[in-house]
Amino acid sequence: MKALQVDKKLAKLGMARMLSAISPAAAVRMGPLEMVTIDPPALPGPGWYRVHTHLAGICGSDLATVEGHASAYFDDWVSFPFVPGHEVVGHLDDGRRVVIEPVLGHAARGFEPPFEGAAPGDGNDYAHLATGHLEPGIQIGFCNSTCGGWAPQFVAHDSQIHEIPDTMSDEQAVLVEPAAGGIHAALLTLPIVGGAERPVVAVLGAGTMGLCAIAGLRRYVPGVQIIVGARYPHQQSLATALGADTVVKPDELARAVRRATSSHMVGDHLSGGADATIDAVATSDSIADCLRFTRPRGRVVLMGMPAQVSVDLTGLWHRETQLVGAYTYGTETMLDGSRRRTFDLAIETAQQLGFERLLSATYRLDDHDDAIAHAAAAGRRGAVKIAFDLRPAPKKESA
Amino acid sequence: MPRPGFVLEVDRSTPPILFWRGENFSLEKLPAGRSRVIYPPEPLKAIDDIDSAITHALLNPIDQDPLPALLLPGMRLTICFDDVSLPLPKMQQPDTRQRVIEAVLDMAAEAGVDDVHIIAALGLHRRMHEYEMRHALGDRIYDAFHPRGMLYQHDAEDHDNLAVLGTTDHGEVLEINKRAAESDLVVYVNINSVPMDGGWKSICTGLASYRCLSHHHNGETLQNTRSMSGHRKHSALHTSIWRMGQVLQENGPKLFQIETTLNTDMFPKPFDFIAKREWEWTGRDRATYLATTKSLNRTPLRIARKIFHNIEAPHQMTSIQAGETEAVHALTLEHVYRQQLVPVEGQTDILTMGIPYVCPYNPDSVMNPILVMCMGLGYLFNMYRNKPLVRQGGVIIMTHPTYRDFHPVHHPSYIDFFEQVLPDTTDPVVMGHKWERQYAEDEWYRHLYRTGNAYHGVHPFYAWYWGAHGQQHAGKVIIVGGDAPTVRRLGFTPASTMDDAFEIATDVVGRAPTITHLHVPSLLVADVS
Amino acid sequence: MSERKGVSAATMRRAGKVADMASAPLRMVLKPTAKLGFPYRPPTTPKGVVVPVAPTRLGADYDTAWARRAPANAARTIINRGPLQLMVKMLADPEILGVDRLADLQAKGDDAPAVIFAPNHHSHVDTPLMVTAVPEPWRSKLTIAAAADYFFDKRMKGAAAALALNALPIDREVTGRKSSDLIRNLIDDGWSLVIYPEGGRSPDGWGQEFKGGAAYLSIRTGAPVVPVFIDGTGAIYGKGMKRPKPGKSRVIFGRPLRPEPGESTRRFNARIEAAVTSLGDEALTDFWTARQRTATKTSPKLTGPEYHGWRRQWQLSEQRKLGAAGVRRRQKRRWPDID
Repeated sequence: MKALQVDKKLAKLGMARMLSAISPAAAVRMGPLEMVTIDPPALPGPGWYRVHTHLAGICGSDLATVEGHASAYFDDWVSFPFVPGHEVVGHLDDGRRVVIEPVLGHAARGFEPPFEGAAPGDGNDYAHLATGHLEPGIQIGFCNSTCGGWAPQFVAHDSQIHEIPDTMSDEQAVLVEPAAGGIHAALLTLPIVGGAERPVVAVLGAGTMGLCAIAGLRRYVPGVQIIVGARYPHQQSLATALGADTVVKPDELARAVRRATSSHMVGDHLSGGADATIDAVATSDSIADCLRFTRPRGRVVLMGMPAQVSVDLTGLWHRETQLVGAYTYGTETMLDGSRRRTFDLAIETAQQLGFERLLSATYRLDDHDDAIAHAAAAGRRGAVKIAFDLRPAPKKESA
Repeated sequence: MPRPGFVLEVDRSTPPILFWRGENFSLEKLPAGRSRVIYPPEPLKAIDDIDSAITHALLNPIDQDPLPALLLPGMRLTICFDDVSLPLPKMQQPDTRQRVIEAVLDMAAEAGVDDVHIIAALGLHRRMHEYEMRHALGDRIYDAFHPRGMLYQHDAEDHDNLAVLGTTDHGEVLEINKRAAESDLVVYVNINSVPMDGGWKSICTGLASYRCLSHHHNGETLQNTRSMSGHRKHSALHTSIWRMGQVLQENGPKLFQIETTLNTDMFPKPFDFIAKREWEWTGRDRATYLATTKSLNRTPLRIARKIFHNIEAPHQMTSIQAGETEAVHALTLEHVYRQQLVPVEGQTDILTMGIPYVCPYNPDSVMNPILVMCMGLGYLFNMYRNKPLVRQGGVIIMTHPTYRDFHPVHHPSYIDFFEQVLPDTTDPVVMGHKWERQYAEDEWYRHLYRTGNAYHGVHPFYAWYWGAHGQQHAGKVIIVGGDAPTVRRLGFTPASTMDDAFEIATDVVGRAPTITHLHVPSLLVADVS
Repeated sequence: MSERKGVSAATMRRAGKVADMASAPLRMVLKPTAKLGFPYRPPTTPKGVVVPVAPTRLGADYDTAWARRAPANAARTIINRGPLQLMVKMLADPEILGVDRLADLQAKGDDAPAVIFAPNHHSHVDTPLMVTAVPEPWRSKLTIAAAADYFFDKRMKGAAAALALNALPIDREVTGRKSSDLIRNLIDDGWSLVIYPEGGRSPDGWGQEFKGGAAYLSIRTGAPVVPVFIDGTGAIYGKGMKRPKPGKSRVIFGRPLRPEPGESTRRFNARIEAAVTSLGDEALTDFWTARQRTATKTSPKLTGPEYHGWRRQWQLSEQRKLGAAGVRRRQKRRWPDID
């Protein structure tokens, strides 16, 4: 079958990294992503199923990999060559429509799950992600053994499969995985804001992840006042539609938080600030900004994937701010104490809030250069999520 | 012999006219046959021996005992003075305030008065920097009184030091600085650059609290102030203040009002060409103009601002009168009008004006977009008596670069006003009801007003209210040369050139509109019949 | 700690050798001219003849008119704005205050009248200080009344004083007819004058009684008198000091005074002295205290306390601490200087 594959070719990775600053399109063309002909993957064992891809989204981490920007941290957690693509909706051999929870967890690799009913992403020891009877790979889409969503088919374990109702469209379903990430980040603010009367949570960045986090906050954190910094007009209107109270440009976010929390400004830090902040951008500057307008003993949830950053942490030390990474979904503890799987929450949210409006364009696999260039410039070009459409003709092209 | 102001009918031989554009100038050609330019009167001659004039005024006041008779040993004397929002540009030293206060202090020393406080009556304006106080008062007064804590600036948010003097029959509360309220004698030293100032306004706004000011500093009142430069009976602002003045007179301390007027000699050589009539520019003037504009085009904005704000004007005192407030003020207004009044016949469809780099609310600071509106639709539009220069529904065209630039120390609440309030509404009455309270009660703005050098949190609203009448009166407001998104945020229309602006105006006023150009910088009041 | 007395013997010998070396080429040049006589060389007087003594125009008779012509004026401007100003800045670091009191006169521009400046006098530094402190339009047309017996007793000294400072010879005790006529004419021509009413520098750091010269000239010419207080120069280079000690100084100008119609010299002089006293109070305390004390006639006198001896000197150093002199460049010792 024809699939998009990333191989570890140093020259290509370096070339892509250099060119990505000038022209993302050129970076993709010269980069390590190639269209190759490979055999469909074999089922690793019982409990594994073949998935036929309908839609596969392009995520920020995929872009980082393809442009050679991914941190060296991941070198030991992926197995080259791999087929990317972890935001997938497809159907199984028996016809059921499913979305995939891409983390290759304990059950998939043949280990005991950490607790009864654990999700693939749970557990305090990540050894299972790099060992077991599969090649290393944190997720489908980074693992040589399983293939990934940017191919007509791949394999997934029973623990990763979520059936979706017929009432849910493919276009809604492809947003389930990012929605889960956003909801997980939103729920990471609960230890700080849970129980407060009218907590203030700021969200910096309104791409797909930021918008999903806003939706998660509005649904699962009661009484929260959401202040968003969004750069582009389409992001601003979507943020408002998904439940944000105040939406401003990113450079006005600090002042908007100051007004909402009635703090003073001391130097460039607020004397108080938001109870929690979700950083959906994750650069040195965005982390520094978030630390400035989060209140002392508040929490900054780092949802975007950073690389090497340089931040002055004196403010964090002095204000006893918590800086917490938000990677993936698993089992959440809600405000009322109940335990739910993030993916289940995501499936509900994507359907009820009509997340298909976040899917801005789809491309065939052959047009992968254009697709990735579009995804890299999504904000500027008025788009949110870009996906590959592998459904057979007649082509269903969504707006 | 200074010539009076006059109205020039523009014809084909009229040279292009000078327009201010913030920190630069331009020359614009106005259409012949249907444009007129209003030139201000030339500066009157200043008083010859100013110190003698001051002494004479203090010894021969109007409807009041001579000052030495009012000064008794052991009394509590408070001297108040106008802050550096005027005169603009700042005077060359010695400033009028310095001269007058030194003369008063001489008499106070003669009389053996020890308890003297000197208060800057700045209302809700920002506290002045030390160098500004030294410029206005001179080093002698500053070094003698400031270290002793006897020279300070009014703090409208210091509730322990405010006193209510009474209520008018319209329910307006007069609340002023406590020290002044409880003094045996309050001497007010005023500089009357424009007809709006002086009289009861000096104390009733300069030493007032926010509560007191909000009775007349609001959208409705300013919409009914037509104009602030004209007869008091047409100005709701002054009517309210005069009511408070009655309360002040009945329940307040004994007052000795000293008012002075300045001539309009606003630019030192070689920049005096700015106020000259264009056809009288000498070769040297033209060379200076070209050199100035070309070098300003290349100068970074920060440096251009510094150059302009360092200009010290040679304007000088033309009259001084002291004594009972209303009697003194009547005389002062006569002198102001003598210098500034220009008779004009009729209104036109369009009014054009160049906005300078400074207004009373940004001395030595940045002119932000809100102040552009305030200067244009507030001060300059209102420089009329009887009727505005432009007809109801006409078009006002201003020239100014209107950068989205704010001074973070002086105008912090202006930034939030621009980001939060203006996108929501530009209607002064609506914003007063919806947003003003939040800005009045914000702790941080209060902190900066009291301890820093920031205008009070509500001050951007006041700047906006100042333009309320102009905003209502005009059918369209166009800013030429401004930053387009910023101009739109203000509720105005951006245009790149004057011709484009005239073109845009035709939608409102028709194909061949009549135009009046207000030739500021020199101050003038148009007496429109 | 005593200073080194004079130059050592070894240095003298070395200086002698240097002089010899320098004189050799000089001798070679001048050898041919040795044979020249009169008129190249001055004449010798024959025996038995009485040579009339040429009247040496020195002292009050020294003619300084050449110093006010264009070439001398130009040279003086260069000296004053260059080396003189630099020297004053390094020695005295002056702070000049009160110029705004002259604003009304300055505003007259070209019609500004000539003015008589009447400062107190503690040091030779006062005159260069005044020359650099006086503002335009008087600065470029300024003459100084200098003691005839001190500055004009030798030709070279007189010429230097006339050129650099535009000095006029004036008798200390009584203003002679000739001097006062000259000064009157100069004032009418627009030349302003600096004259020290005390007559000479203070011998002990405290001021002296004001003599009537400034008052007399003002009444005769109509020129206003500007009282000036100079603070700190006494500690820099007072009377009797061998070497100047750099320090800080202050010059304060007062409001111009005009004689009342029919006022006598004595009374006007008293007013001028009171004005300078008040300025002195202002220099050491502040404007308000000075005004209050002037009004109650309790301003501290410039002539100092009534007592004599060490207490007088002790009081002087207390006073100096208050003023500009108290701020020394190098804060060495705080002991009162009883020399």
